[in-house]
Amino acid sequence: MTDAKRPQRNKLSEQDAIERAKQGDAEAFQLLYDLHKRRVYSLCLRMTGNTASAEDLTQEAFLQLFRKIGTFRGESAFSTWLHRMAVNVVLMQLRKKNLPLVPIDETTEGEEEGTVRKELGAADSRLAGSIDRLHLQRAVDELPPGYRTIFVLHDVEGYEHNEIAAMIGCSIGNSKSQLHKARIKLRDLLRANRAEKVAKRS
Amino acid sequence: MNCLQFENALSDYLEGAATSEQQAHLNSCSACSGLLADLSLISSEASSLRTIDEPSVRIWNSLEAQLRKEGLIREPSRPSQPGFFHRWRTAWLVPVAAALLIAAGVKLYQPAKIGDNQPIAKQRTPAAPVVPAVSAEDKDVMNTVASRPPAQVAAYRNDLAQANSFIRDAQEAVKNDPNDIYSQQMLMNAYEQKQMVYRLAVDQNNEDEQ
Repeated sequence: MTDAKRPQRNKLSEQDAIERAKQGDAEAFQLLYDLHKRRVYSLCLRMTGNTASAEDLTQEAFLQLFRKIGTFRGESAFSTWLHRMAVNVVLMQLRKKNLPLVPIDETTEGEEEGTVRKELGAADSRLAGSIDRLHLQRAVDELPPGYRTIFVLHDVEGYEHNEIAAMIGCSIGNSKSQLHKARIKLRDLLRANRAEKVAKRS
Repeated sequence: MNCLQFENALSDYLEGAATSEQQAHLNSCSACSGLLADLSLISSEASSLRTIDEPSVRIWNSLEAQLRKEGLIREPSRPSQPGFFHRWRTAWLVPVAAALLIAAGVKLYQPAKIGDNQPIAKQRTPAAPVVPAVSAEDKDVMNTVASRPPAQVAAYRNDLAQANSFIRDAQEAVKNDPNDIYSQQMLMNAYEQKQMVYRLAVDQNNEDEQ
Protein backbone atom coordinates (compact mmCIF):
# COMPACT_ATOMS: atom_id res chain seq x y z
CA MET A 1 0.00 0.00 0.00
CA THR A 2 1.40 3.38 -0.92
CA ASP A 3 1.50 6.16 1.65
CA ALA A 4 -1.18 8.05 -0.22
CA LYS A 5 -3.58 5.13 0.02
CA ARG A 6 -3.36 4.79 3.77
CA PRO A 7 -6.34 5.86 5.87
CA GLN A 8 -6.14 9.59 6.32
CA ARG A 9 -6.06 11.19 9.72
CA ASN A 10 -9.17 13.10 10.81
CA LYS A 11 -10.84 12.29 7.48
CA LEU A 12 -9.04 15.24 5.91
CA SER A 13 -8.60 14.36 2.25
CA GLU A 14 -5.39 15.04 0.40
CA GLN A 15 -7.17 17.63 -1.72
CA ASP A 16 -8.50 19.40 1.40
CA ALA A 17 -5.02 19.25 2.93
CA ILE A 18 -3.50 20.84 -0.18
CA GLU A 19 -6.00 23.69 -0.03
CA ARG A 20 -5.48 24.18 3.70
CA ALA A 21 -1.71 24.05 3.31
CA LYS A 22 -1.99 26.89 0.80
CA GLN A 23 -3.54 28.89 3.65
CA GLY A 24 -0.63 28.04 5.95
CA ASP A 25 -2.30 25.31 8.03
CA ALA A 26 0.34 23.37 9.97
CA GLU A 27 -1.78 20.24 10.35
CA ALA A 28 -2.35 20.12 6.59
CA PHE A 29 1.38 20.34 5.91
CA GLN A 30 2.00 17.52 8.35
CA LEU A 31 -0.71 15.35 6.83
CA LEU A 32 0.77 15.79 3.35
CA TYR A 33 4.19 14.99 4.73
CA ASP A 34 2.93 11.87 6.54
CA LEU A 35 1.14 10.64 3.43
CA HIS A 36 4.18 10.82 1.18
CA LYS A 37 7.26 10.80 3.41
CA ARG A 38 8.04 7.09 3.02
CA ARG A 39 7.90 7.09 -0.75
CA VAL A 40 10.04 10.19 -1.08
CA TYR A 41 12.56 9.06 1.52
CA SER A 42 12.81 5.60 -0.06
CA LEU A 43 13.42 7.14 -3.47
CA CYS A 44 16.16 9.39 -2.08
CA LEU A 45 17.71 6.46 -0.26
CA ARG A 46 17.80 4.31 -3.39
CA MET A 47 19.29 7.08 -5.49
CA THR A 48 21.98 8.07 -3.02
CA GLY A 49 22.59 4.82 -1.14
CA ASN A 50 23.21 6.92 1.95
CA THR A 51 20.85 7.46 4.91
CA ALA A 52 22.12 10.88 5.95
CA SER A 53 21.97 12.24 2.39
CA ALA A 54 18.53 10.70 1.90
CA GLU A 55 17.23 12.48 5.02
CA ASP A 56 18.62 15.83 3.89
CA LEU A 57 17.22 15.40 0.40
CA THR A 58 13.81 14.31 1.68
CA GLN A 59 13.62 17.47 3.76
CA GLU A 60 14.74 19.57 0.81
CA ALA A 61 12.21 17.94 -1.55
CA PHE A 62 9.31 18.63 0.81
CA LEU A 63 10.54 22.12 1.47
CA GLN A 64 10.60 22.89 -2.24
CA LEU A 65 7.20 21.31 -2.66
CA PHE A 66 5.65 23.31 0.16
CA ARG A 67 7.19 26.53 -1.13
CA LYS A 68 5.49 25.92 -4.47
CA ILE A 69 2.25 24.44 -3.20
CA GLY A 70 0.42 27.67 -3.99
CA THR A 71 1.04 26.99 -7.67
CA PHE A 72 -0.30 23.42 -7.59
CA ARG A 73 -3.48 23.40 -9.69
CA GLY A 74 -4.11 19.68 -9.76
CA GLU A 75 -3.31 19.09 -13.44
CA SER A 76 -1.25 16.07 -12.40
CA ALA A 77 -1.53 13.85 -9.35
CA PHE A 78 0.03 15.42 -6.28
CA SER A 79 2.15 12.31 -5.69
CA THR A 80 3.49 12.47 -9.27
CA TRP A 81 4.36 16.13 -8.82
CA LEU A 82 6.11 15.43 -5.52
CA HIS A 83 7.94 12.37 -6.86
CA ARG A 84 9.27 14.30 -9.82
CA MET A 85 10.36 17.10 -7.53
CA ALA A 86 12.19 14.63 -5.29
CA VAL A 87 14.02 13.20 -8.30
CA ASN A 88 15.00 16.70 -9.39
CA VAL A 89 16.27 17.54 -5.91
CA VAL A 90 18.46 14.42 -5.90
CA LEU A 91 19.76 15.13 -9.40
CA MET A 92 20.50 18.72 -8.42
CA GLN A 93 22.42 17.50 -5.41
CA LEU A 94 24.47 15.12 -7.56
CA ARG A 95 25.25 18.01 -9.91
CA LYS A 96 26.32 20.17 -6.97
CA LYS A 97 28.69 17.45 -5.85
CA ASN A 98 30.03 17.23 -9.40
CA LEU A 99 29.04 13.59 -9.60
CA PRO A 100 28.33 12.53 -13.19
CA LEU A 101 24.61 12.09 -13.92
CA VAL A 102 25.55 10.21 -17.05
CA PRO A 103 28.45 7.79 -16.66
CA ILE A 104 31.70 8.61 -18.35
CA ASP A 105 32.14 5.97 -21.04
CA GLU A 106 35.88 6.23 -21.38
CA THR A 107 36.51 4.75 -17.96
CA THR A 108 34.51 1.61 -18.55
CA GLU A 109 34.27 1.03 -22.28
CA GLY A 110 37.17 -1.36 -22.50
CA GLU A 111 36.00 -3.77 -19.87
CA GLU A 112 32.41 -3.78 -21.11
CA GLU A 113 33.28 -4.50 -24.72
CA GLY A 114 34.87 -7.72 -23.60
CA THR A 115 31.91 -8.86 -21.56
CA VAL A 116 30.58 -11.39 -24.01
CA ARG A 117 33.99 -12.64 -25.03
CA LYS A 118 34.80 -13.42 -21.40
CA GLU A 119 31.56 -15.38 -21.28
CA LEU A 120 32.56 -17.91 -23.92
CA GLY A 121 32.89 -21.29 -22.36
CA ALA A 122 31.60 -19.98 -19.07
CA ALA A 123 27.90 -20.68 -19.30
CA ASP A 124 27.94 -22.09 -15.76
CA SER A 125 28.65 -18.65 -14.34
CA ARG A 126 25.18 -17.33 -15.02
CA LEU A 127 23.18 -15.82 -12.22
CA ALA A 128 21.10 -19.01 -12.27
CA GLY A 129 17.52 -17.90 -12.10
CA SER A 130 17.35 -15.84 -8.94
CA ILE A 131 19.01 -12.90 -7.25
CA ASP A 132 18.91 -12.24 -3.56
CA ARG A 133 17.35 -8.80 -3.00
CA LEU A 134 20.01 -7.78 -0.49
CA HIS A 135 22.81 -8.73 -2.87
CA LEU A 136 21.13 -6.77 -5.63
CA GLN A 137 20.72 -3.76 -3.35
CA ARG A 138 24.36 -3.95 -2.35
CA ALA A 139 25.44 -4.16 -5.98
CA VAL A 140 23.27 -1.14 -6.89
CA ASP A 141 24.85 0.79 -4.02
CA GLU A 142 28.27 -0.07 -5.45
CA LEU A 143 27.41 1.30 -8.89
CA PRO A 144 29.03 4.58 -9.87
CA PRO A 145 26.49 7.39 -9.28
CA GLY A 146 25.70 7.93 -12.96
CA TYR A 147 24.88 4.28 -13.57
CA ARG A 148 22.89 4.07 -10.35
CA THR A 149 20.80 7.09 -11.30
CA ILE A 150 19.75 5.66 -14.66
CA PHE A 151 19.18 2.14 -13.32
CA VAL A 152 17.09 3.33 -10.37
CA LEU A 153 15.02 5.73 -12.46
CA HIS A 154 14.28 3.18 -15.21
CA ASP A 155 14.29 -0.30 -13.74
CA VAL A 156 13.26 0.49 -10.16
CA GLU A 157 11.10 3.60 -10.43
CA GLY A 158 9.68 2.81 -13.85
CA TYR A 159 10.43 6.05 -15.69
CA GLU A 160 10.59 5.87 -19.50
CA HIS A 161 13.75 6.76 -21.39
CA ASN A 162 12.23 9.97 -22.77
CA GLU A 163 11.40 11.11 -19.22
CA ILE A 164 14.88 10.24 -17.95
CA ALA A 165 16.49 12.00 -20.90
CA ALA A 166 14.49 15.14 -20.11
CA MET A 167 15.29 15.01 -16.39
CA ILE A 168 18.99 14.36 -16.80
CA GLY A 169 19.58 16.34 -19.93
CA CYS A 170 20.81 13.63 -22.30
CA SER A 171 19.51 11.96 -25.44
CA ILE A 172 17.09 9.03 -25.32
CA GLY A 173 19.71 6.87 -27.03
CA ASN A 174 22.22 7.82 -24.38
CA SER A 175 19.77 6.88 -21.62
CA LYS A 176 19.20 3.48 -23.24
CA SER A 177 22.86 2.83 -23.73
CA GLN A 178 23.77 3.83 -20.17
CA LEU A 179 21.02 1.65 -18.73
CA HIS A 180 22.41 -1.30 -20.64
CA LYS A 181 25.88 -0.63 -19.30
CA ALA A 182 24.52 -0.25 -15.78
CA ARG A 183 22.89 -3.69 -16.02
CA ILE A 184 26.12 -5.20 -17.36
CA LYS A 185 28.02 -3.64 -14.47
CA LEU A 186 25.49 -5.01 -12.01
CA ARG A 187 25.85 -8.44 -13.51
CA ASP A 188 29.61 -8.26 -13.06
CA LEU A 189 29.21 -7.18 -9.44
CA LEU A 190 26.70 -9.93 -8.68
CA ARG A 191 28.85 -12.58 -10.30
CA ALA A 192 31.92 -11.36 -8.45
CA ASN A 193 29.96 -11.55 -5.24
CA ARG A 194 28.88 -15.10 -6.03
CA ALA A 195 32.41 -16.14 -6.97
CA GLU A 196 33.67 -14.74 -3.68
CA LYS A 197 31.13 -16.80 -1.79
CA VAL A 198 32.07 -19.97 -3.63
CA ALA A 199 35.75 -19.32 -2.91
CA LYS A 200 35.05 -18.89 0.79
CA ARG A 201 33.15 -22.17 0.93
CA SER A 202 35.96 -24.16 -0.75
CA MET B 1 26.22 -11.63 -36.43
CA ASN B 2 28.96 -12.21 -33.88
CA CYS B 3 28.84 -11.87 -30.07
CA LEU B 4 30.14 -8.29 -30.01
CA GLN B 5 27.58 -7.16 -32.57
CA PHE B 6 24.88 -8.93 -30.62
CA GLU B 7 25.88 -7.26 -27.37
CA ASN B 8 25.96 -3.86 -28.99
CA ALA B 9 22.37 -4.36 -30.13
CA LEU B 10 21.26 -6.08 -26.92
CA SER B 11 19.73 -2.97 -25.41
CA ASP B 12 17.32 -2.75 -28.38
CA TYR B 13 16.64 -6.46 -28.03
CA LEU B 14 15.68 -5.98 -24.38
CA GLU B 15 13.46 -3.08 -25.39
CA GLY B 16 11.53 -5.55 -27.52
CA ALA B 17 12.96 -4.68 -30.93
CA ALA B 18 14.55 -8.02 -31.85
CA THR B 19 15.63 -8.78 -35.39
CA SER B 20 15.68 -12.22 -36.98
CA GLU B 21 19.46 -11.97 -37.16
CA GLN B 22 19.72 -11.39 -33.42
CA GLN B 23 17.30 -14.23 -32.75
CA ALA B 24 19.37 -16.56 -34.92
CA HIS B 25 22.56 -15.66 -33.05
CA LEU B 26 20.84 -16.12 -29.73
CA ASN B 27 19.70 -19.62 -30.68
CA SER B 28 23.23 -20.65 -31.52
CA CYS B 29 25.24 -18.90 -28.76
CA SER B 30 25.01 -20.02 -25.15
CA ALA B 31 27.15 -17.12 -23.88
CA CYS B 32 24.84 -14.51 -25.39
CA SER B 33 21.68 -16.33 -24.34
CA GLY B 34 23.16 -16.49 -20.81
CA LEU B 35 23.93 -12.79 -20.89
CA LEU B 36 20.41 -12.02 -22.06
CA ALA B 37 18.91 -14.21 -19.32
CA ASP B 38 21.00 -12.48 -16.64
CA LEU B 39 20.19 -8.96 -17.79
CA SER B 40 16.49 -9.77 -18.03
CA LEU B 41 16.64 -11.23 -14.53
CA ILE B 42 18.37 -8.13 -13.12
CA SER B 43 15.81 -5.89 -14.78
CA SER B 44 12.84 -7.88 -13.51
CA GLU B 45 14.24 -8.18 -9.98
CA ALA B 46 14.84 -4.44 -9.80
CA SER B 47 11.24 -3.83 -8.77
CA SER B 48 11.95 -5.77 -5.58
CA LEU B 49 14.15 -2.85 -4.56
CA ARG B 50 11.11 -0.59 -4.46
CA THR B 51 10.93 -1.02 -0.71
CA ILE B 52 9.34 1.45 1.65
CA ASP B 53 11.61 2.83 4.34
CA GLU B 54 10.60 4.90 7.34
CA PRO B 55 12.38 8.25 7.61
CA SER B 56 13.56 9.67 10.92
CA VAL B 57 11.12 11.85 12.85
CA ARG B 58 13.83 14.49 12.84
CA ILE B 59 13.01 15.34 9.23
CA TRP B 60 9.50 16.57 10.02
CA ASN B 61 10.67 18.48 13.09
CA SER B 62 13.33 20.33 11.08
CA LEU B 63 10.95 20.82 8.18
CA GLU B 64 8.23 22.25 10.41
CA ALA B 65 10.69 24.65 12.03
CA GLN B 66 11.83 25.80 8.58
CA LEU B 67 8.25 26.21 7.32
CA ARG B 68 7.45 28.38 10.32
CA LYS B 69 10.64 30.36 9.85
CA GLU B 70 9.74 31.06 6.21
CA GLY B 71 6.17 31.98 7.15
CA LEU B 72 4.65 29.12 5.14
CA ILE B 73 2.95 27.89 8.30
CA ARG B 74 0.94 30.87 9.40
CA GLU B 75 -0.77 29.73 12.56
CA PRO B 76 0.22 29.62 16.21
CA SER B 77 2.60 26.82 17.10
CA ARG B 78 0.94 23.68 18.40
CA PRO B 79 2.48 20.73 20.16
CA SER B 80 4.19 18.58 17.57
CA GLN B 81 2.38 15.31 16.85
CA PRO B 82 4.42 13.21 14.45
CA GLY B 83 2.46 10.45 12.75
CA PHE B 84 3.08 7.60 15.08
CA PHE B 85 2.91 9.55 18.31
CA HIS B 86 -0.87 9.90 18.31
CA ARG B 87 -1.32 6.30 19.33
CA TRP B 88 0.92 6.66 22.32
CA ARG B 89 -0.90 6.75 25.63
CA THR B 90 -0.71 9.93 27.64
CA ALA B 91 -1.98 8.56 30.92
CA TRP B 92 0.93 9.77 33.04
CA LEU B 93 4.38 11.14 32.62
CA VAL B 94 7.64 9.50 33.37
CA PRO B 95 9.01 11.68 36.16
CA VAL B 96 12.56 11.76 34.94
CA ALA B 97 11.58 12.73 31.41
CA ALA B 98 9.24 15.40 32.69
CA ALA B 99 12.01 16.76 34.87
CA LEU B 100 14.30 16.76 31.86
CA LEU B 101 11.76 18.69 29.83
CA ILE B 102 11.10 21.19 32.63
CA ALA B 103 14.82 21.65 33.18
CA ALA B 104 15.26 22.41 29.49
CA GLY B 105 12.37 24.86 29.57
CA VAL B 106 13.68 26.63 32.65
CA LYS B 107 17.13 26.92 31.15
CA LEU B 108 15.75 28.09 27.85
CA TYR B 109 13.35 30.70 29.13
CA GLN B 110 14.96 31.83 32.37
CA PRO B 111 14.69 35.61 32.86
CA ALA B 112 17.71 37.90 33.04
CA LYS B 113 19.38 38.16 36.43
CA ILE B 114 19.32 41.54 38.09
CA GLY B 115 22.65 43.26 37.82
CA ASP B 116 23.80 41.08 35.00
CA ASN B 117 25.17 43.35 32.30
CA GLN B 118 25.41 40.71 29.62
CA PRO B 119 23.40 41.30 26.45
CA ILE B 120 20.04 39.49 26.39
CA ALA B 121 21.21 37.04 23.77
CA LYS B 122 24.06 35.91 26.00
CA GLN B 123 21.79 35.50 29.02
CA ARG B 124 19.65 33.03 27.12
CA THR B 125 22.48 31.18 25.46
CA PRO B 126 22.96 27.83 27.19
CA ALA B 127 19.78 26.04 26.25
CA ALA B 128 20.12 22.83 28.20
CA PRO B 129 22.79 20.55 29.45
CA VAL B 130 24.57 18.71 26.69
CA VAL B 131 23.00 15.29 26.29
CA PRO B 132 25.55 12.52 26.33
CA ALA B 133 25.20 9.76 23.74
CA VAL B 134 23.95 7.37 26.46
CA SER B 135 22.87 9.04 29.70
CA ALA B 136 22.20 7.30 33.02
CA GLU B 137 18.46 7.87 32.44
CA ASP B 138 18.70 6.24 29.02
CA LYS B 139 20.38 3.24 30.61
CA ASP B 140 17.53 3.02 33.15
CA VAL B 141 14.99 3.06 30.36
CA MET B 142 16.87 0.41 28.42
CA ASN B 143 17.01 -1.73 31.56
CA THR B 144 13.25 -1.30 31.90
CA VAL B 145 12.65 -2.72 28.44
CA ALA B 146 15.50 -5.25 28.49
CA SER B 147 13.14 -8.21 28.91
CA ARG B 148 11.13 -7.33 25.80
CA PRO B 149 11.75 -9.00 22.40
CA PRO B 150 15.12 -8.05 20.83
CA ALA B 151 13.48 -6.19 17.95
CA GLN B 152 11.60 -3.94 20.39
CA VAL B 153 14.72 -3.35 22.46
CA ALA B 154 16.55 -2.36 19.30
CA ALA B 155 13.68 -0.04 18.35
CA TYR B 156 13.82 1.69 21.75
CA ARG B 157 17.60 2.04 21.47
CA ASN B 158 17.21 3.54 18.01
CA ASP B 159 14.43 5.91 19.12
CA LEU B 160 16.53 7.11 22.03
CA ALA B 161 19.55 7.61 19.80
CA GLN B 162 17.43 9.62 17.35
CA ALA B 163 15.94 11.73 20.13
CA ASN B 164 19.39 12.43 21.56
CA SER B 165 20.69 13.32 18.14
CA PHE B 166 17.73 15.65 17.59
CA ILE B 167 18.38 17.29 20.97
CA ARG B 168 22.03 17.86 20.07
CA ASP B 169 21.05 19.39 16.71
CA ALA B 170 18.50 21.65 18.38
CA GLN B 171 21.00 22.67 21.07
CA GLU B 172 23.42 23.62 18.33
CA ALA B 173 20.72 25.68 16.59
CA VAL B 174 19.90 27.50 19.85
CA LYS B 175 23.57 28.05 20.52
CA ASN B 176 24.03 29.60 17.09
CA ASP B 177 21.02 31.89 17.46
CA PRO B 178 19.88 32.08 21.08
CA ASN B 179 17.01 34.49 20.36
CA ASP B 180 15.50 32.42 17.53
CA ILE B 181 12.13 31.23 18.81
CA TYR B 182 11.98 28.49 16.17
CA SER B 183 15.22 26.96 17.37
CA GLN B 184 13.91 27.17 20.92
CA GLN B 185 10.68 25.47 19.84
CA MET B 186 12.72 22.80 18.04
CA LEU B 187 14.64 22.12 21.24
CA MET B 188 11.45 21.80 23.24
CA ASN B 189 10.07 19.44 20.57
CA ALA B 190 13.25 17.40 20.81
CA TYR B 191 12.84 17.02 24.57
CA GLU B 192 9.16 16.16 24.09
CA GLN B 193 10.22 13.47 21.65
CA LYS B 194 12.58 11.96 24.19
CA GLN B 195 9.96 12.23 26.87
CA MET B 196 7.56 10.26 24.68
CA VAL B 197 10.10 7.48 24.22
CA TYR B 198 10.49 7.27 28.00
CA ARG B 199 6.75 7.32 28.50
CA LEU B 200 6.10 4.58 25.97
CA ALA B 201 8.75 2.37 27.54
CA VAL B 202 7.31 2.72 31.04
CA ASP B 203 3.67 2.48 29.95
CA GLN B 204 4.29 -0.74 28.07
CA ASN B 205 6.22 -2.14 30.97
CA ASN B 206 3.30 -1.36 33.29
CA GLU B 207 0.89 -3.04 30.88
CA ASP B 208 3.04 -6.17 30.91
CA GLU B 209 3.06 -6.26 34.69
CA GLN B 210 -0.74 -5.93 34.98
